[in-house]
Amino acid sequence: MSPAWSFALARLVGAFAIAALVGYFLGEVQLTVIVVLAGYLALNFARLYRLERWLRRRRTEEPPDFRGIWGDVVALVMRIYRRKQFHKRRIVQLFREFRRMTTAMPDGVVVMSAEREIQWFNRNAARLLSLRRKVDYRQRIDNLLRQPEFSRYLSDGDYSQAVVIRSAANSDQHLSLQVVAYGAGQQLLLVRDVTRQIRLEAMRKDFVANASHELRSPLTVIAGYVDALADDRSIDPAWRAPLEEMHRQAERMRAVVDALIELSRLEASSGEAGNELIDVAGMLTLLRREVLALDRHPREVELALESASKLLGSEQEVHSIFSNLISNAVKYTAPDGRVDIRWWTDGAGGHFSVRDTGVGIAREHLPRLTERFYRVDPGRARATGGSGLGLAIVKHALQRHGATLEIESEEGEGSRFTCHFPLRRVAARTALAAND
Amino acid sequence: MDVTELGPHISRRFNEDLEGVRNRVLQMGGFVEQQLTQAVAALIEGDSRLGEEVARGDHKVNAMEVTIDEECSRILATRAPAASDLRLIVAIIKTITDLERIGDEAEKIAYIASRLATMERPADRYREIKHLGRLAQQMVHDGLDAFARLDADAALRICREDRVLDDEFESIQRQCITFMMEDPRTIRRALDVVWVARALERIGDHAKNMCEYVVYMVHGKDIRHTSLDDVEKELRAAGRS
Repeated sequence: MSPAWSFALARLVGAFAIAALVGYFLGEVQLTVIVVLAGYLALNFARLYRLERWLRRRRTEEPPDFRGIWGDVVALVMRIYRRKQFHKRRIVQLFREFRRMTTAMPDGVVVMSAEREIQWFNRNAARLLSLRRKVDYRQRIDNLLRQPEFSRYLSDGDYSQAVVIRSAANSDQHLSLQVVAYGAGQQLLLVRDVTRQIRLEAMRKDFVANASHELRSPLTVIAGYVDALADDRSIDPAWRAPLEEMHRQAERMRAVVDALIELSRLEASSGEAGNELIDVAGMLTLLRREVLALDRHPREVELALESASKLLGSEQEVHSIFSNLISNAVKYTAPDGRVDIRWWTDGAGGHFSVRDTGVGIAREHLPRLTERFYRVDPGRARATGGSGLGLAIVKHALQRHGATLEIESEEGEGSRFTCHFPLRRVAARTALAAND
Repeated sequence: MDVTELGPHISRRFNEDLEGVRNRVLQMGGFVEQQLTQAVAALIEGDSRLGEEVARGDHKVNAMEVTIDEECSRILATRAPAASDLRLIVAIIKTITDLERIGDEAEKIAYIASRLATMERPADRYREIKHLGRLAQQMVHDGLDAFARLDADAALRICREDRVLDDEFESIQRQCITFMMEDPRTIRRALDVVWVARALERIGDHAKNMCEYVVYMVHGKDIRHTSLDDVEKELRAAGRS
């Protein structure tokens, strides 16, 4: 028991004893005890009243000056109150810091609940998305950002990448939006103005497309003259070898320019590829025959057609996918090696694979293989006359079909390239029957 | 008025139903907005492929309208909503009709765009149409925003903008008549341009209708076919009392 309590108790007992003693001498024990107790009660009541009044107006009034147990209570209340004030100030300060920080951030930030209701956003988000403070709180984000691409992004639920939409207020402005999950089901929407990047990207694509077209015509002229010179018998035989080399290099350059043009065409065509019915079996049979007609080809080129299903897509692009992958396999396989081409379908969709017993690719090269002009072995690739763009074209064309490319390879053992086409790209058997 | 407060309901499912159908309307609105923007872009940039794409996309708008309509009928039949909920459903049923018509007008513009793409473009590159299109898009966008926020004041403001659109249409029409009189060879194209302008002007009318439903939804007042000044006076008086 604290000293204040002992003192209070002692006082009460003392008052009681004195009252009893005085009452005993006066012969009115009961009355005096009642009077003293009533006085004690009144005193406490008065203090309780003052305490309550002070608690009510504690912001402006000084605390009452009590002694004893009441003083202790006041001191305790004061301490709790001060501590609370301190925490509150700190929280307010932290909150202000946070607000200042998010305002200073160049990106827009929207805090959303699990139901995608807006809970808070910073000034940049308000500016970029034309949201209105307070009014738009608790409004669902997709009610105000109604761009179909954004709704699709939200309903797909794959937030690993950002989605780019046009701003509703200014159609020249491009915004990149990304959802980041955090806390208990809460989500953060990051908004960034990517107009400049998009414009630069468009300029780069235009440049590549224009440059390739500009290069093609002079190249055709040069190649034509080189051809004519090579056939000319009056030319000194010493020039024969250089002319042949010139012819080879001109051919290679033409291949690179053609690949560049095809790549920029793929990049320029927006959205998904078309829905032509493609006879995969026929196409692959033809491609195999072309390989066998080459001067130098692997001894065995096998074709396994395990499905008669046709593919829905752009015939030209699918042809370029298949021919690029097959010619790569043939190029990197020794004459005594073998190449297996396979086409099959299952519940996941259609699959095309090319396996070779060629040189293989070291593990560290795999992730960068589809970059344009990426060379595993620069010297060798030049000798075989590749454009360095084949796999980049394959990747882009596959993307336009919603398909993915899988690469497995072991150095010295060979590689396998597999394309996985989604089910919606595989023509159903009934459709096949109807078309036959 | 608080947007999310569509009235207290014993049944949480009911609230979810109402929210769901509201979201769908706004989703449909978003798609229609895109159709309109792309249709106008197809015309101005002479992109026949984009025009055909927009024209093909119109069936989606129709499908959305049918789905939302069915959903509304289901809510009316099974939940028997009253007061503000009933107004919400009624307003939605009307709004989607107007949205669907906006979609039809966009389809019309897209058709004309893909046809005009093969012809030589005029020197001014459809500057007037671009401006008119911008106004119409803005109206549709703001109208849908007002619907999402249940903002009757904004809705009334948008209703006023319709007049600007009408004036612009008048001036384009006059301009086209001048062209046709000067050079009869341009009649075909000028007629098409008038058709596009007419479609955009109609889109403005539909956007105005949508805004009128927002006012109806919020205040329970039918402001169709009344002068806007009277409406504002009346609403202000109602707000004061």
